[in-house]
Amino acid sequence: MDKIKNFFRMFSVVPLAGWLFGSFVAVLLEYYLGDAISYYLYLPKIPVLFGTLIMLKEPMLIPSVLAYDLIIYALPILLLGKMLAPIANTIAARLDRMPLWVATLVHLVAFYGILHLWAGINDYRVLVVKLTMVSIILTISLNIINGYQGEFSCSHPGFMALGAYTASALTLLLFTDDKMFGEALLPAAMGPWLFPLILVAGGAVAAIGSLAVAIPSFRTRGDYLAIISLAFMFIVKSAVENLEILGGPRGLSSQPDYASLPVVFIWVALCVWIIHNFTTSIMGKALNAVRDSEAAAHSMTVNTRKTKVTAFMFGAFWAGVAGGLFAHVLRYVNPSTFGIQKLAEVLAMVYFGGLNSIYGSIVGAVSISVLGEALRPLELFKWIIIPLILILVMIFRPHGLISFTELNVKEIMRPRDKKPSEGVE
Amino acid sequence: MEYFLQNLINALQWGSFYAVISIGYSMVYGVLMLFNFAHGDIFMVGTYIGFGIASLLLALCSAFLPGWMIFVLTVVITMFLASFVGVFVEVVGYRPLRGAPRASAAITGLMIGIIFETGNLIILGAQRFSFPPLMESISYNIGGVYFTNVKVLIIVVSLVLMLALHTFIQKSKWGMAMRAMSYDFLAVPLMGVSINIIAPLTFAIGAGLASVAGILYGQAYPVLDPYMGILLGWKAFVAAILGGRGSIMGAALAGYLLGFIEIFVAMVFPSTFRDLIAYSIILVILTFRPRGFFGMAHSTRLRL
Amino acid sequence: MAPLLEVKDMTHYFGGLRAVNNFNLSIEPGQICGLIGPNGAGKTTIFNLISGVYTPTEGEIELGGHNIKGVEIHHIASMGLGRTFQNLLLWRHMNVIDHIRMAHYSQLNYTLFGAFFGTPKCRQEEKLVKENSEKLLEVFDIKQFAYNLAGNLPYGAQRRVEMARAMATNPKILFLDEPTAGMTPDELMRMIEIIRQVHRDFGVAIFLIEHRMRFVMELCQYIQTLVFGEVIAEGPPEEIQNNPKVIEAYLGKEDVH
Repeated sequence: MDKIKNFFRMFSVVPLAGWLFGSFVAVLLEYYLGDAISYYLYLPKIPVLFGTLIMLKEPMLIPSVLAYDLIIYALPILLLGKMLAPIANTIAARLDRMPLWVATLVHLVAFYGILHLWAGINDYRVLVVKLTMVSIILTISLNIINGYQGEFSCSHPGFMALGAYTASALTLLLFTDDKMFGEALLPAAMGPWLFPLILVAGGAVAAIGSLAVAIPSFRTRGDYLAIISLAFMFIVKSAVENLEILGGPRGLSSQPDYASLPVVFIWVALCVWIIHNFTTSIMGKALNAVRDSEAAAHSMTVNTRKTKVTAFMFGAFWAGVAGGLFAHVLRYVNPSTFGIQKLAEVLAMVYFGGLNSIYGSIVGAVSISVLGEALRPLELFKWIIIPLILILVMIFRPHGLISFTELNVKEIMRPRDKKPSEGVE
Repeated sequence: MEYFLQNLINALQWGSFYAVISIGYSMVYGVLMLFNFAHGDIFMVGTYIGFGIASLLLALCSAFLPGWMIFVLTVVITMFLASFVGVFVEVVGYRPLRGAPRASAAITGLMIGIIFETGNLIILGAQRFSFPPLMESISYNIGGVYFTNVKVLIIVVSLVLMLALHTFIQKSKWGMAMRAMSYDFLAVPLMGVSINIIAPLTFAIGAGLASVAGILYGQAYPVLDPYMGILLGWKAFVAAILGGRGSIMGAALAGYLLGFIEIFVAMVFPSTFRDLIAYSIILVILTFRPRGFFGMAHSTRLRL
Repeated sequence: MAPLLEVKDMTHYFGGLRAVNNFNLSIEPGQICGLIGPNGAGKTTIFNLISGVYTPTEGEIELGGHNIKGVEIHHIASMGLGRTFQNLLLWRHMNVIDHIRMAHYSQLNYTLFGAFFGTPKCRQEEKLVKENSEKLLEVFDIKQFAYNLAGNLPYGAQRRVEMARAMATNPKILFLDEPTAGMTPDELMRMIEIIRQVHRDFGVAIFLIEHRMRFVMELCQYIQTLVFGEVIAEGPPEEIQNNPKVIEAYLGKEDVH
C-alpha cells in the first residue's frame, strides 16, 4: 500500500503544464504511430475510447488493449511528465507570475490542441467529445438551479428543448434551403458568424420560458415547485410534438454543421468562466443565502425574488445554449429527447458530480457521459450499472462526489516544486 | 348526452388508475416526507407479478375454480408479493438515506425505478406480454351508453380499496401512527413506535395498492410494457401533490380529476393535445393554489 | 432631534388572536432601548412587525422619517434596519467572511453583467467589500475564523458572526433578538463589551430583546416591558427594576395573607 502511495507521490511534483505536455506527446504518438502499433498488437483498429469498448466486446484482446494504453498513453504521459517536471515547473512559475487570464488562456489552448488531435483520429471520438462538452454545460446549468439555489427543478429538459428548437428553427430558416422553412434568407457564409447570436437567442427563449417556473417559486415551497417544473417539462415536450411547423413528432433535421469542435469548446470555456465569475461574486452567493435561510437573506438586504428569478433564468439560459449546441452537433432534434429519460440523465450527472460546484459538475458530466459510452457494449446492463453507481454515491456522499468546492484555477495551474503560498482562497 | 355519460364512465375508470396509484405516492409523501420516484415502476413490477400469478393460477386452477375466485386469489397473492417489493425499495433505497437531504433520496428512487425497468427488459426481454383476462367481458347497454363489466369492476374495486385504506388509517393503531407521523415526523418514534416498522409498512401498502391497480389495468389494457410505470406513474405523482400533502383523499380526488381532464380533453381536442392541456391546467391550479387541494399549512422544502 | 424609529399605535392580529396591542416606540439615533417580558409576550413578533416580516394590522411605522409599514423586508433592511435572530439563522454552507460579504448586497454598485464577466467595476466593488468585511471581522474578534464554515464555530463565536453580519448592512439601528441566549457568564460579559464597542464605534441605535435582567440593565437607556402583547411599564432601568408590575410579571404576585 505504501509502495503505491510512494509511487503516486513521485508525480506530485508535476504541474499541470507538465501533464499537458506529456499528453500532447502521447496524442502525437497515437496520430503518427497509432495504426502501426495497433496492428502489431493484433487490435482491429485504434481503440476509440481507450480500449474500453474493445475490452467489453472481445475480452481476449484485453492484454493488447492494456499494452496499447501503456505504450501510447501511460508511459509517455507519466515518463515525460516526471522527466520534464523541472522545465514544466519553470514554465508554470513564469505563467503563475503573469495575469491569471494569460496563464489560463495558454493552458486552455494547449488543452484544446490535445483534444483536437486526439479526437481527430476518428469521427466517433469527435462526437463523444462534443456531446460530453454539451453535457458539461447542461450539468453546470442545472447545478445553478438545483445546487446553488437549492430548488428541485425537473424542468431542465424543457429549457434545453426551447433552446434546441429556437436555434434549429433560426439556422434552418436563415441559412438553409429546406422543406420546413423554405429558402435561406441570408447567405450561408454568414451562418457560422451569426451562430453565437443564434445560440444566445435560444438561451434567451429558454430564460423567458423559465419564468413560468420561477414566478410560482415565490409562493410555493420546494416540493410543489418540483411538480410545477415537471408539468412545465411535459408541456414543452407536448407543445413541440403538436407544432407541425417545428416538425411535430418527427422533429427537425439537417441543421447546418456549425457546432464544430472548437466552437463547442469555446462555449464550454465561456460557460465555465462566466458561471465561475457569478458564483464567486456576492450576487452569486445570494443564491446560497436564499437557499440556506431565506429569512436571514431577506433581512440582510438580499432581494430574494430577484435572486430566484436570476437563478432560474440564468440556469435556463445555459440549458438553452446547450440545447442549441446539441441540436447542431447531432444535426437532428426530436421531442422525445426531452422527456423523463433526459431528466434522469441530467439529474444523475449533477448529483453524481456534486451540488453547488462547477468542478463537481464537470466531473459528473464527463464521468457519466464517458461511462455511458464506454459501457455501450453492455447494452441494457449499462442502465443497471450507472444507476447503481449513483445510488452508492447517494448513500455515501449525498451531496455528490465533489460538492460545495469552488474551482480554483490558479491552484490547478501552479508550479509544484515549491510549497504553495499562504492565504489560498 | 349518451356520449357524455359514456365518457363519464371512461373518465371514472381511467381516473381510478391514477387515484389508486397516487394514493401510494401520497402516503409515502405524507408520512415520510419523501418523493418516491420509484413508485410508478413499483406499479409496473406489481402488474407483471399479477400477470405471472394470474397466468399461473389460470393454468393450474381454471379447471376447478370459478373465474371470480381466481381473480380474488390473484389480487390477494399479488398484493402480498408486491408489498415485499415495496419493503425492499424502502430498506435498500431509502433507509440508508434517512439522514440525507431529501433531494438525494429522490434521486435514489429515480435510479431504483430505472433499475426496475431495465431489469424487466433484461429478464423478460423485449417481448410484449398480454395480461390474461380473468373474467368474461360482458357488455352492457343502458340507454345507449355502452360499458363493460370490467370497467365497472375497476371503478368499484378502486373505491373499495380506498375505503378500506381510509378505514385502516382512521381506525387502526398503525394507521394512527402514520397519521401522527405526517403531522410531526419526530414525535412518533419518541412515543415508542419504530420508524423501521412504519416506513416499510407505508411502502408495502402503497405497493400493494399499486399492484391491484396494475391487475385492473391489465384487464382493461392487456398489453404490458416495461415502461408503463412512466406513463401512469408521473401523472399519478402529480395528482398526489395536487391533492395536497398529507391528504390521501385529496390524492384520490386529484387522480380522478386528472382522469376526467384527460378523457374530456380528448373529447374536444385532438388526442395529441391531451398531455399539453392536462399539464397546463395543473400548472395553473398549482400557481393559484400552491398548497394543493387539501394540503396542510406547513410544507417543507426539499432541503439540501 | 427627530426620532430615528417611530412606531405609533401598532396593533396586530393573527386571525382572531390579538398578538400586539397599541405598541408605541420612539428611538433616537444612537439610543439603546430594551424590550423585556416573559416568554410568549410577543417580543419577537414586534421585531418581525417592524422589520417587515409581517405587516401590522393597525398603526404607523417610520424609519428616518420614511414610512416602512408594508415595505418589503430587504428594502427596510437597506434603509438602515439590521437585525439578528433568536435562533441564529446562519447560512450552513457558507464560511464566515462570506456571511459578512453577503450582507453588503444592497451596497453593491455593479450589475449582473458585471458579475457574469468580472468587469473591473465588479472586481473593484468586491475588493472594497472584502476589505470592509475584514475590518468587521476584527471588530467582532472572529478574524481567525474567516475561512471556516460558520456552522463549525463555537456557539459564542456564531453569535458574534450574526452580529457582524447585521452590522455589515450598515444599519442606523440594530435589532438584537436575545443576543446572549445560551451564553456562559464569560461570553455574556464579552458580548456586553462588544455591543458597547459597536455602539461607540458605529454610533448605531440599538433595540434589543433580552431575558437576562443584568444585561438589559447594564446596556439600555430605556426599557419597555411587554406582557401578552401590551406594554405594562416603561422607563429608565432604575424605574423598571423596582416597578411592582414588572416584578409581578416575572415572579408572580406576592401573596399577602
